[in-house]
Amino acid sequence: MIKLSPKLSQRLSYTILFLATLLAIIPVSAIIFTIIKNGASAITWEFLTAMPKNGMHGGGILPAILGTLSIVTCTIVITLPIGVCAAIYLNEYAKDNLLTRIIKLAIINLAGVPSVVYGLFGLGIFVMFLKLDVSIIAGALTLSIMELPVIITTSRSALNSVPYSFREASLSLGVSRWQTIRYIVLPNALPGILTGAILSISRISGETAPVLFTAAAFSVPHLPHSIFDQVMVLPYHLYIISTQIPNMPKNIIFGTALVLLMMVLTMSFIAIVARIYFRKRRKW
Amino acid sequence: MVDKIKVENLSCYYDKKCALESLNISIVQNEILSIIGPANSGKTTFLRTLNRMNDFDKTYSRKGKVYLVGDNIFDMNMENLRKRVGMLFAMPIPLPMSIYENVVYAPKRLGLISKKSELETIVEQALKDASLWDEVKDRLDSSAMKISGGQQQRLCIARILAINPEVILFDEPCSGLDPISTAKVEESMIELKRKYTIVLVTNNVKQASRVSDRTAFFLMGKLVEIDKTDRLFVSPKEKQTEDYITGRFG
Repeated sequence: MIKLSPKLSQRLSYTILFLATLLAIIPVSAIIFTIIKNGASAITWEFLTAMPKNGMHGGGILPAILGTLSIVTCTIVITLPIGVCAAIYLNEYAKDNLLTRIIKLAIINLAGVPSVVYGLFGLGIFVMFLKLDVSIIAGALTLSIMELPVIITTSRSALNSVPYSFREASLSLGVSRWQTIRYIVLPNALPGILTGAILSISRISGETAPVLFTAAAFSVPHLPHSIFDQVMVLPYHLYIISTQIPNMPKNIIFGTALVLLMMVLTMSFIAIVARIYFRKRRKW
Repeated sequence: MVDKIKVENLSCYYDKKCALESLNISIVQNEILSIIGPANSGKTTFLRTLNRMNDFDKTYSRKGKVYLVGDNIFDMNMENLRKRVGMLFAMPIPLPMSIYENVVYAPKRLGLISKKSELETIVEQALKDASLWDEVKDRLDSSAMKISGGQQQRLCIARILAINPEVILFDEPCSGLDPISTAKVEESMIELKRKYTIVLVTNNVKQASRVSDRTAFFLMGKLVEIDKTDRLFVSPKEKQTEDYITGRFG
């Protein structure tokens, strides 16, 4: 065993840790750089607001943008209330017995199931069995099932971050358990819950596999009318134009990727701002 | 002398381990009863049994009866019991809201208020009774987390007074406070005695001798001795009590 002087070992470990961080950042910056470099020229007002033309070679990607937005909106409307309620039940009410522990473990593990499995499940249940066909609602339900474990887990950790002593203080005044949750726990857990929700939104807007069989269409000549319509979605559209259509202009492919990336980054940015805002307002 | 609380043959367990053994004790109306004793003597367990804060602990179980003016507290609705028996914790726990909101929180939630105009009277009265009014009357809207520890503890007292309980339990209320804040909390305790019955658990033997009418000495889950404070401190009947109050152990 070689013995290093404390000074040298300090410098060595600092260098290794710094290089590891650098290694994590470089690919991300490279991706963003490449996409912006190749795609920025495609971003025009028409690109964002028009229908595709000439077999995707021209025009815009409005239907795909709207499709993604409508699926994400439906998903979050379904998941957030259910997920938060389940988290409250598991965290505040459920007795700590074997069943609860199995449920908690299952929820954590469900978050690790590959998304294409959820896609097949959605195809079987929502599209075929419930006869919702390939539609916004089928895609949103599929994504909801995929995202529920994540929402429950983040909401639970937000609820856990509210000190137990607050609950005790409130209960000791004769205030009921539900009122304690409603007036003390939830308001203070809200920032964490919201941050989790926004990050979920950014995750699901990029998902391809779950919507592949349940909501997405190669090309829809009109904008979505109702939640029972098939839609174009950005990630799937990106896959189509980059692999299935010959002679696709490079800047349109990268431009589409840039729009998707911007949507996801905007969501994350909103999450960060919201977190900072709520943290400042927090009084403990 | 009226018995406010009467404890009959109370035993408490954590996972079958006995923390309090067949306790019989009476607490008289409008007295301050101090409970002293070393760690693990069961004094906090006793206090937390009196307003059933321990009911949330899965490992906790108990036998015996506790009467609050004739009603067995274990048959009562927990919220009703806690409205009548308030509790002050060792560390000040202000709720994360303004001073004003802290005081009106419980009365609002318990539906004790019929008119909005009553709120301000309640806040002023509670803060005055907790001897905090003069220090905070100009900044009722500022966060309760920003006032000093001693002020926070008195705010917690005011919060209890706002729901007008019959008994107030103090669980080592001054363990985190400096001597001046301690003196203020003790002062308000003596003031409060006129309207409320007070049970004080304390690790500070001198505090017990300063404020209480009677003192009980707990050891290893058993009540060793209970007597008038001046008598217990001057001529304790039991050797163990004498050892503890003179600082020979514990």
